[in-house]
Amino acid sequence: MADSVEDLDSLFDYRRVQPIAILDEDDDDDEYDKPPVPSPKKRKISNHNVEIVGGDREASQVTNDDEDWLLPPPKDSSESPKQIDEDSTIKELRLRKQELKALTSKECLFQYLESPKRQSDSVQADLESGAEQPSKSDHERAKIVISIQDKDEVKQFRVYKDEKFERLFKRYADKVKLGIESLVFMFDGDKINLTATPDSLGMDDEDIIEVLAKKS
Amino acid sequence: MSGGIARGRLAEERKSWRKNHPHGFVAKPETQPDGTVNLMVWHCTIPGKLGTDWEGGYFPLTLNFSEDYPSKPPKCKFPQGFFHPNVYPSGTVCLSILNEDSGWRPAITVKQILVGIQDLLDQPNPADPAQTEGYHLFIQDAAEYKKRVRQQAKQYPSLV
Repeated sequence: MADSVEDLDSLFDYRRVQPIAILDEDDDDDEYDKPPVPSPKKRKISNHNVEIVGGDREASQVTNDDEDWLLPPPKDSSESPKQIDEDSTIKELRLRKQELKALTSKECLFQYLESPKRQSDSVQADLESGAEQPSKSDHERAKIVISIQDKDEVKQFRVYKDEKFERLFKRYADKVKLGIESLVFMFDGDKINLTATPDSLGMDDEDIIEVLAKKS
Repeated sequence: MSGGIARGRLAEERKSWRKNHPHGFVAKPETQPDGTVNLMVWHCTIPGKLGTDWEGGYFPLTLNFSEDYPSKPPKCKFPQGFFHPNVYPSGTVCLSILNEDSGWRPAITVKQILVGIQDLLDQPNPADPAQTEGYHLFIQDAAEYKKRVRQQAKQYPSLV
């Protein structure tokens, strides 16, 4: 029994567990929860967090924060042995985040333009979705040439294979100066749904879509 | 196996059709209930020519290819009872280019067959009748014939 108790003790040795737990959770938690750690340590971590947020797009805030945090350094330095450990891991994490963010910076910017208030939230969201987004934009966006044929002529369009036909049909309707609602698009004798895509209909390069004017 | 030749040719026909075919026509191999494609049977649509009594009709036609295609022509069928002097009561089209013993050549494409049949709709060949009703009206009662053709065109409206 005594042995197992000792085992449990070592399991909960905070010197080992704490830094990892902080690294995983702190980035979003410290916005809302009171972190269980003493403030100097928290400062250190959120400092990194802000660096990430600010580095890209919050220049003014960063300067403010930096001024705030110019005060604590003496405390920080007293804890230097622990920090070196944390720093290396945090640095690793931070580099990874930055890498992810570089990949998705466009999406991030876009989201920020739309919702400037949800800063920390969307940073987190970006980081989480970051792993998926690049793959989507990289290899699923194959293009295809599609011919649209009316009774007089054939026009060709280049579209994404996974893009809904709605957009292509609007482009076509604009080009022939007709309302999209007065046109019917057919592939292989079947009416094409606006939400279908070239992929979903199994279309190949230069396949023909027939367009008919709806009878009123 | 000659079937390999037929299927190979039909796959080519389908490929070229997808990239180039006359407006309003449809031609696609049958999809079986299990989702596989049967290249030996094609379901087609022939639009009635603009400016004729056939205009506005989109007539369904089935092409049945044999293992001997393209040495032998496909059998082309409208629905049973289709009104036209050169269509048998069964719906089978009687046309020289579809006759193995007269006009058929292996080089004739699916597109040429369908356009040929579209031409036949408005230009029946009274020398080669295949049904009595259509034939008799065509040579004896032009007004009634015209009426029947227009009626039939309305019976097969476009899908839109």
